[in-house]
Amino acid sequence: MNDSTGKAIQVEGVCKRYGHVSAVNDVSFDVRHGEFVSLLGPSGCGKTTTLRMIAGFVMASDGHIRINGRDVTYLPPEKREVGFVFQNYALWPHMTVAENVAFGLKLRKRDKAFIRNKVEESLAVTGLSGFEGRLPRQLSGGQQQRVALARALALEPQLLLMDEPLSNLDRALRVAMRRELKKLQQRLNMTTLYVTHDQEEALSMSDRVVIMSGGEIVRVARPLEVYEDPQSEFVADFVGTTNFFDGIVSDIGEGVATVKVGETLTLRVGNRISAAPGSAVRVLLRPERVRILAERREGANMLAARVDFIEYYGPTLRYTVALPGGEALFVEAHDIHGSAQIGETVWLSIEPDHFRLIDRKGAPAS
Amino acid sequence: MKARNAALLLAPAALALTIFVILPLMWVVRTSFNHTVDGAYMVSAFTFENYTRFLGSGWYLVNTLWFSIRVAILTTAISVLLGYPVALYIAGTRGVQRNVLMTMVLSPLLIGLVTLVYGWIVIFRGGGLLNSLMIALRVYDEPVRYMWDLKGVVILLVYIGMPYIVLSLLDSIERINPSFVEAARNVGASRWRAFWSITFPLTMPGLYAGLVIVFTLNFSAFAVPLMVGATDTQMIGLVIYREALLNNDLPFASSLSVIMIAANATILLGMSFLFGKLILNRLEAKR
Ligand SMILES: Nc1ncnc2c1ncn2[C@@H]1O[C@H](COP(=O)(O)OP(=O)(O)OP(=O)(O)O)[C@@H](O)[C@H]1O
Ligand SMILES: [Mg+2]
Repeated sequence: MNDSTGKAIQVEGVCKRYGHVSAVNDVSFDVRHGEFVSLLGPSGCGKTTTLRMIAGFVMASDGHIRINGRDVTYLPPEKREVGFVFQNYALWPHMTVAENVAFGLKLRKRDKAFIRNKVEESLAVTGLSGFEGRLPRQLSGGQQQRVALARALALEPQLLLMDEPLSNLDRALRVAMRRELKKLQQRLNMTTLYVTHDQEEALSMSDRVVIMSGGEIVRVARPLEVYEDPQSEFVADFVGTTNFFDGIVSDIGEGVATVKVGETLTLRVGNRISAAPGSAVRVLLRPERVRILAERREGANMLAARVDFIEYYGPTLRYTVALPGGEALFVEAHDIHGSAQIGETVWLSIEPDHFRLIDRKGAPAS
Repeated sequence: MKARNAALLLAPAALALTIFVILPLMWVVRTSFNHTVDGAYMVSAFTFENYTRFLGSGWYLVNTLWFSIRVAILTTAISVLLGYPVALYIAGTRGVQRNVLMTMVLSPLLIGLVTLVYGWIVIFRGGGLLNSLMIALRVYDEPVRYMWDLKGVVILLVYIGMPYIVLSLLDSIERINPSFVEAARNVGASRWRAFWSITFPLTMPGLYAGLVIVFTLNFSAFAVPLMVGATDTQMIGLVIYREALLNNDLPFASSLSVIMIAANATILLGMSFLFGKLILNRLEAKR
């Protein structure tokens, strides 16, 4: 069952063209057994197309797809034995919940008792016991979502593909289902490829995240790496909020470099600098990595700033501040009490290690 | 306020319905109980003689009522068998190809019936297109009689019925979310199996609508049997026409009309029950 490579899915140089439009372009990645991998990217970047090629609903124009080592590129969907959960659930409207779940088992000619048990079990796992006789239209969105999941799980697939399964649910339910889904995936140790454009979902559920943009993969990494070390402007901007500064490396010292940004701003930047003095770099800074202080203290980077705007988000406050050179900066803070007022001058303290550098063309400079 | 506006908007339709359907229908029902004096005028009466004349006659029951039902079932069934694949095919086309196909399918409705029948005469004749083709293909050796024969009636009713079947099916097919079929394929259904388990049941509303229209049209058909039929194609609509306009026996024609409407209503009710039980009750939201 498990091949020697330990890979559940191998996508190798896969392309999909629609006429002159290239929806997916030379995409390669692997999913290991038991792994939860997300495909993350903005709308229209080719996530669904990639997933549908793996399921066999669309044929790749180029490249190869392997499932458990077997080349399935030209195999029809019914021969691929993968579970699929659709964004719109795609429950068959003329079948009851139980019939929806049982359909695949009936096709496999399992005996009646087995099917009844399996349906019962799948519905129990997804918290739907008692809904057997309902029709899809008699269910809420969240319940329909569970039926779609139960339908896939009943066949005990080695591989589960999901296309934004939670995107039609309200926020509270989405967060709850996200956890349930993750727990279930871990309990069944089910290899999962999950499409989403919701970064929170991708970061919180995945073992690894595949970030796509314009039909291509821009990054494959663990959630922590993706967030803490985006390595490209696109990733930094798409996953979370990021402040950017364009500057020139003026001096390199012991693990700390000096970057001059414009006329007035000098940043002391730590962390794996390999850029030569004089090279143009882009400095990235997460808003929550900035500490906001009422008075000046000692520190590597201590910048005066004027508060221009304050947004209250509940758990956090977001300040928009202006540096003396005119640069605008987002700062996110947790301490709601004793917060600064609009128009006041505050001090920003930034640890050198909290900056990330990329070169101006967007590639990592470290 | 809203209800009042709706009532106002409905008023013209309601008025037209009353004047052109309900009042004539009431008149027909009333007339069906009148008495006809030989020499062709009717006197007001309340008699069941027109009904017993039809229902008491084995000949009428078999050769008119039952015959009409059989022709309607046969032609509707053939229209469905031919129309279903056509609708499926058209659903998969786009642009120019689709427009051409749609025009072809709808042509029987676009061309007037008389023109249509004359066109078919050219096709049906002894040495006409159909016979030449069939003989060339060695389906049979001698020319077959289509014109002024049941065969011609059936072919024409099928031809005219097809557009209704195709249109209503097409509507149903295009309402089906493509991911329904994908979901079926995903859990292991072949194309064929996915069609029978998912697509086909979900087209039942369209099929049902088409059946109701075509069955009703063909059961009560009169122009086609009149123009193409033989002396033994006594379809009930044709008999009504003859009794009313040629024999001037309005009471008998009226009773036949009432019987025709009642028979049609009974059959449609049965069909509605059957389809409801089979599938439609599941698809339609309960009010
Ligand atoms: N059948 C098709 N014909 C032509 N172009 C298509 C087709 N399907 C997808 N595309 C194009 O391919 C690109 C990728 O589409 P895809 O559905 O994979 O995006 P996505 O990443 O899933 O986006 P979203 O987050 O909005 O669902 C889009 O530009 C889309 O317009
Ligand atoms: Mg998508």
